[in-house]
Amino acid sequence: MNLKSIHSGARGLGWIALWALALLACNNNPYPATEGDEKVLYSSFREAPRSLDPAVAYDTGAHAITGSVYDTLLEYHYLKRPYELIPGLATNLPSQRPGDPGYTVYRFDLRPGMMYENDPAFALDEPGRTTREIVAADVAFELCRLADPAVNSPVVEPFSNIQGFQDFGQALTQRREDPAFADLPVQDQYASLGGISGVRSVGDHGLEVAVRSDYPQIQYWFAMPFTSPVPWEAVAFYDGQEGRPRFADHPVASGPYRLDQYDRQSRMVLEANPNWYGAMHPEWAAPGAVYPSEGAPGDLEAGLLAPEWVGQSLPFIDRVEFRREKESIPYFNKFLQGYYDAAGVIKESFDQVIDEGGLSEEMAEMGIRLEKGVEPTIFYIGFNLDDETVGRPGGGPARKLRQAMSLVVDSQEYTRIFTNGRGIPAQSPLPPGLFGYDDGYENPYRQVDLERARELMVEAGYPEGIDPATGKPLTLSFDTYDTSAQGMLQYRFFTDAWRQLGINVKVEATNYNQFQEKVRNGAYQIFMWGWVADYPDPENFLFLLWSDLARSKSGGPNTANFMDDRFDALYLSMKSRPNGPERQKEIREMRQILEVERPWIELFHREDYALFQGWLENVKPFGMSFPMTKYRDLDPAARASHREDWNQPVVWPIWVGLALVIVLIVPGVVTFMRERQ
Amino acid sequence: MESHLISNGIVLVMLFGTAATIWAVRRSRLWSSAFVSLWHRRRLALLVTAVYVGVALLDSVAWVGGDSLGGDTVSLHEARSVIDRVFGGSQEKSYSAPLATTEFYGGRGLRYPGGHWLGTDMIGRDVFYLTLKGARVALLIGGLTSLIAIPLALLFGISAGYFGGRIDDVVFFLMTTLASMPGLLLLIALIMVMGKSTLAVCVALAVTGWVGFCRVSRGETLKLRELEFVSAARALGVSEFQILTRHILPNLMHLVIITFVLMFSGLVLSEAILSWLGIGVDGSWGQMIDQARNELSRDPIVWWNIAASGAALFGLILAVNFVGDALRDVLDPRTVKDEK
Amino acid sequence: MGAYVIRRLGYGAIVVFGVLFLLFILFFTVTSPDDIARKALGERVPPAVVEQWKINHGYDKPLFPAPGQWADNMLVEHYRRMLTFDFGRSDADDTPILERIRKGMGPSLALTIPLFVLSLLVAIPLALLVAFFRETYIDRAGVILAVLAMSVSVLLYIIGAQYLVGKVLHWFPISGFDSNPQVVVRFLALPIMIGVANGLGGDIRFYRTVFLEESNTDYVRTARAKGCGEVRIMSRHVFRNSLIPLLTRIVVAIPFLFTGSLLLESFFGIPGLGAITVDAIQGNDFSVLRTMVYIGSLLFVVGQILTDLSYALVDPRVRLE
Repeated sequence: MNLKSIHSGARGLGWIALWALALLACNNNPYPATEGDEKVLYSSFREAPRSLDPAVAYDTGAHAITGSVYDTLLEYHYLKRPYELIPGLATNLPSQRPGDPGYTVYRFDLRPGMMYENDPAFALDEPGRTTREIVAADVAFELCRLADPAVNSPVVEPFSNIQGFQDFGQALTQRREDPAFADLPVQDQYASLGGISGVRSVGDHGLEVAVRSDYPQIQYWFAMPFTSPVPWEAVAFYDGQEGRPRFADHPVASGPYRLDQYDRQSRMVLEANPNWYGAMHPEWAAPGAVYPSEGAPGDLEAGLLAPEWVGQSLPFIDRVEFRREKESIPYFNKFLQGYYDAAGVIKESFDQVIDEGGLSEEMAEMGIRLEKGVEPTIFYIGFNLDDETVGRPGGGPARKLRQAMSLVVDSQEYTRIFTNGRGIPAQSPLPPGLFGYDDGYENPYRQVDLERARELMVEAGYPEGIDPATGKPLTLSFDTYDTSAQGMLQYRFFTDAWRQLGINVKVEATNYNQFQEKVRNGAYQIFMWGWVADYPDPENFLFLLWSDLARSKSGGPNTANFMDDRFDALYLSMKSRPNGPERQKEIREMRQILEVERPWIELFHREDYALFQGWLENVKPFGMSFPMTKYRDLDPAARASHREDWNQPVVWPIWVGLALVIVLIVPGVVTFMRERQ
Repeated sequence: MESHLISNGIVLVMLFGTAATIWAVRRSRLWSSAFVSLWHRRRLALLVTAVYVGVALLDSVAWVGGDSLGGDTVSLHEARSVIDRVFGGSQEKSYSAPLATTEFYGGRGLRYPGGHWLGTDMIGRDVFYLTLKGARVALLIGGLTSLIAIPLALLFGISAGYFGGRIDDVVFFLMTTLASMPGLLLLIALIMVMGKSTLAVCVALAVTGWVGFCRVSRGETLKLRELEFVSAARALGVSEFQILTRHILPNLMHLVIITFVLMFSGLVLSEAILSWLGIGVDGSWGQMIDQARNELSRDPIVWWNIAASGAALFGLILAVNFVGDALRDVLDPRTVKDEK
Repeated sequence: MGAYVIRRLGYGAIVVFGVLFLLFILFFTVTSPDDIARKALGERVPPAVVEQWKINHGYDKPLFPAPGQWADNMLVEHYRRMLTFDFGRSDADDTPILERIRKGMGPSLALTIPLFVLSLLVAIPLALLVAFFRETYIDRAGVILAVLAMSVSVLLYIIGAQYLVGKVLHWFPISGFDSNPQVVVRFLALPIMIGVANGLGGDIRFYRTVFLEESNTDYVRTARAKGCGEVRIMSRHVFRNSLIPLLTRIVVAIPFLFTGSLLLESFFGIPGLGAITVDAIQGNDFSVLRTMVYIGSLLFVVGQILTDLSYALVDPRVRLE
């Protein structure tokens, strides 16, 4: 018996030793070892994009894919600031000529001989075919899709400036009441309506688009995936039937990368597209296919114009891996271990990473670089002005209520607690760096003043927050899509502030899609929202409050449903005016209206602190949500060696643990033997 | 607004239940001697448990009225408990370390310097106060749920195991149907369909919690039924009811105790998981842990929040587990015999 | 025995019907399709929007059978869909549920099977050891350690281990998953270790109780009195006769290996069924949740049948008829 028990003890130790060996053999590299020397960029995503349909995708997460997969007629210059458009799929920037009265015709010319990625969908038209040329009709087709109510594109509004755009959408809806028409494939439906009247393809490669003359901003939209050429075959083939994916999950690429793997739960992989015009025709040296030779001041010194890259054909990186990271801390820790190439600064690690506005010594030693800048963003709390209590139906008292609520929200404190002070307290919707931003402006309702707020509550008819109708504190709902415990703390910050006024604001949290759904249906009172500029023009912020774009009226992005005639008139006049004193004056007047009306409680303009590993090259932050992946380069050898340095497993705890086990077990066995004998 | 009355009522019922139990224990010689020996073995654990219960009770007596808390005028119209009145209202702006006089980040002065024994959390709430408030939530969850689930489980388990036949079929069907649904998922489904509230969480926990014990008691009854002394009693013509209460039930008692303990701690621990999923009970330690879990990665580290809630949770579970262990030793005649 | 097996299988089918009925009650009456739609769409949506949503998600039939609609109602439809594994599309993002489940099964099993086996391999010998050394300080220390281990919330285990093992010691990746079998071992090591550690306290305590109870029975005393060796007693008598409660615990657990682990998968980014369920909970995705409960129940019924059969095999005293 005794012998046996000793044996089993020895066997146990053997097991532990085996485990220890297994541990030593292991490492913490989350990628296969074979990937070490490939030019793979490692990135992450939190939630899979809801749709990769270029007509629908409109958030940063989706643009990370669609922006690389779908090429556009125009694009932004990678280095130049202020932002500058360059031709992409088009040979030149569009020429303009007057069209029908009030309209300007933009003429684009596509490069001949560009092909789509290989895809079985192309066999629909001609059996056995796997790709075809990109033609102007594909862009026209995509514009039709934007107008198609069934596609439900979020950007119908700006495109309504195209001649005949809205009529086309209405005609579609009408004709679809006839089932025979509704059963036709969409491309035939569009064709039988003759397409959008203001959009005309000239031959295979020419495209003419008639746009209202007071909307010169349309050109910016031709640099976004919404206007990418889309082959009708892909839309027809990928219909979600018989095991085929939906088009929203299966892009057909015209851009520098193609979607190689798409697993919504865990992984998305982009791979260089061999059919991209830059790869097939390097001899063209097209502006969108080679690294730029000139940039903004300072770029040369920053090494962004090194001869190594200038004039070289793109893309440099062969593959982009997106791994799902639901939690920010594991993600950031993996960045610190060298397993992600770029990261934002998470709030938990702020003090470790940032020291007096710059990189901490520890990070600098690791070769990590910090790029920061105020983004063209605004974060705000909005009121649904259609609501009876807080909105327009409530009249003057409701305005006073909004003013009072605005007076107790402390942006400075908010950014200090929740974003480590990364952000500039906002006084108006316009962020710094944009025309119309006024550094000296102080919004009287955005300074904290509890006394004044309490007075306003009395004037609004809620003395001490008591709703005379119920005799209890006024109860409002704050709708949000953030259900996390950390998120709740944020809302607690606001609700605590409002409780000072005696208002009981309840937080109703749902997920992102449902929140959007709620907003779409007008079922909300107070919400928190952010806006990142599509293009660098004050119009792109002030349009968020234009009445034509009210959520309840047209499903537009004016989520506050702010409708003010004076504001609208100023907006329309300001929109088509060139930057200058007139425009400045109008913007100032609009600001005045917002100041009093308080559709928003402006919180802050985000300041971006982006971290990049030393081996990631050619990094210039862009500000807007365009993945500039094709310009980036990286040094896999440097990455591999750093990873090895940073991730030496610490093994001594294993030996300590083993020793501890022995120390505990041996005397036990000894005592036991003694007792038994 | 009225939910505090319901919770108060439940706590009161529990109080009466405890009083009744004490009365019953004092009446029976066997049980009172068991309690005495329990007291000797696990004095500390019993005291700790009593402290938790005391705090929970103090936090359950709530009424409307009194002064407002730090300028928060909504609170005038909300029911506040003894704990709220004594420890609440010392709101700061953001993090401060235990007993600190300045804020943790930036070093600005506090409104109540040195007044926060366990520091304050991200939005400046006193952690000691929050921790105290967690006790009531934990006891409400653990106690109420166990008290619903165990009698239910015993009833179903014994009838099924002992009577067999039709009754077994019916009871077994009912039980199996409920029991076949995976516990945590059913729990979540129940809470999600009933809507998130303390009561919903307790009912859901009870509906899912009795399942395991029901299976064990049925299995044990099946075994007991075949034992000689039960057959003998049956042969002697002892009534079924007497067999059940005299022979079967007492022989299940140790299982009841073990189950109660395992369940109690298990319930409080599952609430922590529910909190992580965002459907737990507001103000529970689980929720505090969830809010605080990322703070461990802060640099410099913010530890007091997770330490306070984690320790409070750990302390209660540990005390209850120890009490339960000792109770088992004391109550299980076989163990007692062996030790003499 | 054959008749018993058939009877048990038939019974299992009835239970599945019961489960489906309960699910129907929960997901169609306690919370009606309108509630689900409103949860998805917001509290104050116009009725037309709700109706359209219900049509899109197949919730547009009357709930219960009524004259003229004996076959065309949600109750019948619910049974038909569930029994034919036609789970439809998710309430939240419209992806086919069956495909998601198929994809999630592999990662879940890759986590739970080693976790389960390792737990048994560690817990039972340790419990035997503790029971063997009963009433020595090893036993007492073992019990106290087990209680301590049990009293720590699994959240704390995960948070602590991720921090220590992943971030500080660099033994394993902090989180993630890969379909490459060579790489996946690295990802799974840490969650498996945490899973084992988390269950160990309770397991040891439970098994020890069972073993001790068995070792106090009269026949074991007799054997001991006859001078039978302690190791022999433990292995031949105690262990074997403890098999019933052990099996109850073990066999029942097997089906749940398929449904994965909510916490471990979610924290460690393993794209299994547990993570899918967590996504469904956080997204109020009732159709996915309903399907997961159903699949879990189906598996449980199978486990139940297995348990009863093994009862019969191990303990002839349990009468079958």
